[in-house]
Amino acid sequence: MEIKSKLLLIENKRWVIVSVLLSMLVILPIFILFFSFFSSGKETLFYLFETVLLDYTLNTVYLIFLTSFFALIFGIFPAWVISNYSFKGRSFFDIALYLPLAIPSYIMGFTYIEILSFTGPIQTFVRSNFPSLSNLVNQDYLQIEILGIILGLALYPYVYTASRISFSMIGSNYLNISKNMGLSNFQSFFKVVLPLSRPAIFSGLFLVIMEVLNEYGAVKYFGVNTYTTGIFRSWNSFGDVNGAIQLASILLVVVLIFFLIERLSLKKSRFYYNKNTQLNIRYVSSGIKSFFYWVICLIPFGFGFFIPFIFIFNNSIETFYLADLSKVINLTWNSVSVSSIASLLVIFFALFFLYVERISKSKINFYISNIISLGYALPGAVIALSLMIFFKGSLLVGTFGVLLFAYVIRFLAVGKSPIQSSLEKQPESFDETGKNLGLGPYSLLKKIHLPINKFALISAFIVAFIDILKELPITLILSPFNFDTLATQTYEFAVEEMLPLSSIYSLIIIVLGSLMLLILKNYIDKQINVSKS
Amino acid sequence: MFLKVKNLVKNYSSELPIIKDLSFSVKKGELISFLGESGSGKTTFLKCLAGLEKTNSGFIELNGKILNDNKTFESPQKRKIGFVFQDYPLFPHLNLEKNITFNLEKKYKKNLDYILKLTGLKFLLKRFPYELSGGEQQRACIARALIREPELLLLDEPFSNLDSTIKESMREEIYKIIKKTKTTTILVTHDINDALNISDRILIFKAGILQQYDNPVTMYCEPANCYCAEILGDMNKLFHKKDTYYVRPERVIVSDKKSKYKVYVEKCYFQGKEYKVKGKQNNETWHFFSKNPLEENKNVYVDFGEKDLIYFDPICKNFFK
Repeated sequence: MEIKSKLLLIENKRWVIVSVLLSMLVILPIFILFFSFFSSGKETLFYLFETVLLDYTLNTVYLIFLTSFFALIFGIFPAWVISNYSFKGRSFFDIALYLPLAIPSYIMGFTYIEILSFTGPIQTFVRSNFPSLSNLVNQDYLQIEILGIILGLALYPYVYTASRISFSMIGSNYLNISKNMGLSNFQSFFKVVLPLSRPAIFSGLFLVIMEVLNEYGAVKYFGVNTYTTGIFRSWNSFGDVNGAIQLASILLVVVLIFFLIERLSLKKSRFYYNKNTQLNIRYVSSGIKSFFYWVICLIPFGFGFFIPFIFIFNNSIETFYLADLSKVINLTWNSVSVSSIASLLVIFFALFFLYVERISKSKINFYISNIISLGYALPGAVIALSLMIFFKGSLLVGTFGVLLFAYVIRFLAVGKSPIQSSLEKQPESFDETGKNLGLGPYSLLKKIHLPINKFALISAFIVAFIDILKELPITLILSPFNFDTLATQTYEFAVEEMLPLSSIYSLIIIVLGSLMLLILKNYIDKQINVSKS
Repeated sequence: MFLKVKNLVKNYSSELPIIKDLSFSVKKGELISFLGESGSGKTTFLKCLAGLEKTNSGFIELNGKILNDNKTFESPQKRKIGFVFQDYPLFPHLNLEKNITFNLEKKYKKNLDYILKLTGLKFLLKRFPYELSGGEQQRACIARALIREPELLLLDEPFSNLDSTIKESMREEIYKIIKKTKTTTILVTHDINDALNISDRILIFKAGILQQYDNPVTMYCEPANCYCAEILGDMNKLFHKKDTYYVRPERVIVSDKKSKYKVYVEKCYFQGKEYKVKGKQNNETWHFFSKNPLEENKNVYVDFGEKDLIYFDPICKNFFK
């Protein structure tokens, strides 16, 4: 009776029903995997357990630990410096520190190994100038520890972004109070700012961990056996679909554990504090201090963007005469068009789910909205594998439809995030006023929420676009026959040890991604200005 | 009656009903104040009237048309009810003119000049919400509601975001507009002065139940219970003829002669026109007014008429606790 009366009170039921049906599609991969896991024989699981599972698990956990450590170091300290100090180059670094997001981690991995290789610039320089040291630098750099540092450099912007926003929101009042109570700047940072920012930093770190679990290109190149490479190997090399399913299911459980830890940790340490206090920008008088802050920002930017970019740029010029220009244009068009269409679909679905949650005010849609975010935690290989199983034997396999569907599942949470935070800022009284003035749900969306949230929609498009442009595992598995993108081409040249030839494709990804990031920064600033006014 | 509400029930969970059983009616053109503490369900009630919240049961009829009963639920878009929200939700992407004429039927467009004149917004039409002061935003919301000639206007704490200097003038201004347009209005407030100054009738709401519904003078002088008495102003407790009575501070007079009631003066606050005195009478805290300053930490004699005494059942106070 209670449930019945609650159902009767749900508003806009038709929208709710459609959202329930669509959400089922989004969580389809999870169902397929678990169904396949229980229907496939246990022998494979035992075999995996006895042979590779321990190796995969240890490597994955160790890589997560290394990457997280470096991402925290490269992310938190520059965020603190940028949020609190004024020094020469601060505005440049404020933008530049986001740029490593434009470089896919696999390209970062390939590039650094090339830079550090025997024929690379470092060893060549040492050999010709300091021959006695040449043996010292001539090492095998394809080590998991090096990969951890490289992934840390590629992924620190997730921690940086979360920390930067959090540090800016904490404002000067808390710092003034802690100073008034006798704490130094250094002590205030560790005793006040870091604890208050823990939820934000952890959510950034969670994204880093998910990216490591999803990572395929760089991990494969470094020869590190993780779950993702294991799934590809079982399936592609050994034709062992059951093994791939079992591994994907175990990976899914690992992901769910991290997901729950993140939720629980956020629940435990969610603070409510005044976010409107003015932030102090302190003008640094001492030249040494200024230099120190500069170095803190330069290290992650230099190693995370500048050096690989210059190296790739240089390689592109050197190998330009070898490049097949029509192919370059063709692949650029493929990447841009497929990323644009998928990003549009992502923002359409993200907006739809969030809007229904808002207008229905029902718990069902609250849960749906949370569940659809799980897609981002699912590694691309797992999503791709489950869709291959689901569509097996149908005409849809190898079509753009399935590829786009997989992108939507994987990146829905990415598009959802900016739209959600923008929608949450709009008071409920906007909707109530709209209804009171005669608007139905569709007109309310069209006349109020679309124009008010337009910057957030553009931001959502851009972040989804950058991620899809860089995406590798889903594209490798689900691309239609003869359909290549900049990402797949870069990967193919790299695994065939023809790295210089991949430079032009890498460069286009980086330039497109960087341009999009710069536009995004501009829109975020606009959003901040709008909310200030 | 123009608006009839019968046996209205609203709850989010069966253990915590917000409105238990509310029945009352309003005449055309009346201004009713709905008084209650924060969180008592006043805004929820307005939303039920406007159709923005669904009721669990009950009957609502406006101008002869049933809006809500067991079979009918008129959607908020079709109810001719204007709603002015507490936080002045003007759409930030539209200028003032577009906000006021938002989704406006053609037949009401002729009202624009009149409403703008009435609300004094004529020269601000092209401004965006962030370029308007709090008072201007509030008048814009009222203009947006009134331009559609609503049969009922709902004002949800319209003065709570204004500072005290402009609050009084805004209250007068809105009163004039409502009376000029003869719009039946329900004003939700927790400010006693709002209710006493401009209402035709006051409705006091507590624990999901209507406590008293009458004109301001009767409400103040003859409160139905101790809750209604206390919500409308201070009460001084005294023992008289072996019973507990209450008297309003305004009825207490400082006496030159020795009287039955002696008050020990703790504090005497200057309030411009007079002094507000806080003291102890038989261990009960009292408040009253004096034209002259009274010496602190000394006793004074006070008096009042027998007819000024208010009596409540002794269980009343505990009941509302």
